[in-house]
Amino acid sequence: MKKIIKIIIITILFILIFVLLNKLLSPKYMDSLIEGSMIAEYYEEEKNHDVIFIGDCEVYANFSPMVMYEETGITSYVRGTPQQLVWQSYGILKETLKYEIPKVVVFNVNSLRYSEPVKEEYNRLTLDKMKWSKEKVETIKASMTEDETFISYVFPILRYHSRFSELSAEDFKYLFTDKKHTFNGFLINKIVKPAGSLPTKKVLPDYNFAKNCYEYLDKITELCKNNNIKLVLIKAPSLYPYWYEQYNDQMVEYAEKNNIDFYNLKEVAEKIGIDYSTDTYDAGLHLNLNGATKLSKYFSRLLKENYDLKDYRKDSKINAIYQEKLRQYNVAIKD
Amino acid sequence: MKKVILIILAIAVIVIGGIEIAITVQNSKKVSNADEKVSDVESSQNAEAYTFVDNGKEIALGQVFDKNALGIGDETSYSEVASCAFEGLDKTYTYENYEITTYPDGDKDKIYTIYFLNAEAKTQEGVAVSDSLQKMLEIYGENYEIQGNQYTYTKGKTQLQFIVENDVITSIQYSYITE
Repeated sequence: MKKIIKIIIITILFILIFVLLNKLLSPKYMDSLIEGSMIAEYYEEEKNHDVIFIGDCEVYANFSPMVMYEETGITSYVRGTPQQLVWQSYGILKETLKYEIPKVVVFNVNSLRYSEPVKEEYNRLTLDKMKWSKEKVETIKASMTEDETFISYVFPILRYHSRFSELSAEDFKYLFTDKKHTFNGFLINKIVKPAGSLPTKKVLPDYNFAKNCYEYLDKITELCKNNNIKLVLIKAPSLYPYWYEQYNDQMVEYAEKNNIDFYNLKEVAEKIGIDYSTDTYDAGLHLNLNGATKLSKYFSRLLKENYDLKDYRKDSKINAIYQEKLRQYNVAIKD
Repeated sequence: MKKVILIILAIAVIVIGGIEIAITVQNSKKVSNADEKVSDVESSQNAEAYTFVDNGKEIALGQVFDKNALGIGDETSYSEVASCAFEGLDKTYTYENYEITTYPDGDKDKIYTIYFLNAEAKTQEGVAVSDSLQKMLEIYGENYEIQGNQYTYTKGKTQLQFIVENDVITSIQYSYITE
């Protein structure tokens, strides 16, 4: 009997050590590469959002739910991650719908230009911190590059074993705790780096979005229809990478065919008041706080006027939550 | 209890060591396979690479970009593009007839692509934008990969890509295979 208890204790302790090592060696995304932590922040949120954004860096850098709330009382959350590819957006949306059913889903179509993963590191930023679920499993399988293995997502030690010699204070400090970096998924960036000259607009061999991208866009469309959600396609304002006319034409056609609204916000950047000499943090790829504030005000009014969304500023319970968030937000943007 | 702790530590060391060894073996297999593949490609292509020559100055893909060492003078314009989340910049140096893009490799910038801006730039073998598909085929042959209307010739870790519309070359680019 004593022997059995000993074996059980050894097994439990072994599992604990193994779990601990996995946790210790996994990147924390807290002080560096913080974009990798954004996907998990959603789980701690009150799930009361009428609008959910999905997509790549062009959503988490450009749309501030705090500004949108202040402007029109719309509640929203940005589930964006760097280089979020369309199959990842689908998985993240599917996962989100397990927690809440928004009235509007906004998808930034920029990622449709990529028919395959750009690099493993981007997969990791989107997937490492996603909660385990059927959706995560499906998304990992859809995302893996040739050199990746599914098992390394289950046991990060298989991927990150070499970090043993690179462990830093961050790894120990955030072993059991996390810190928040975003406000409802919006990552504040106050740097001003004016747009200058850009690389030449190259001729492409094929401007058509790939078949697999359309398949996942169809899945997003279908998922929204089945849940009575209005899908809104957007192209966020940016100067680079180039959004070719041929790309835009395809989106206009897709939107018409599927009775979806598509807004190319790049075309109305001037009307919004975006000035690429002051409103971007990386010379025209993403908007900084100034630019995101202008865009968020404009887009929240557009949503309010066209999609019959509730003004939660009149709802005392929700308003109290958002007023506290706004207080913290205003401190953060002044820092 | 001391004995139990010792056993656990021993198991943990064995397991971690085992994982480390398994991964190292797997990686070394991958590396040796990749080396074999590369050496196959290289031997089949005489271990050569495509290079671009500007006024007698050879510009090799994958080499560190140093305009003074290359002797190509100052660019007419320069731009840099950051990547989302990660550090490092893709830098673009625009010259009169072509554009060089670099990629960060450690603290060095290496030549990634050379893109022709007009018909003045010619490949080392004498093909320019606005030449015919026929000319390209005569000079480079049929050993290409085609994607849409893009013809790609590969030599070692370098590629020469032509985009052809209505039998006329509309774009030429050299690129370096980084992985």
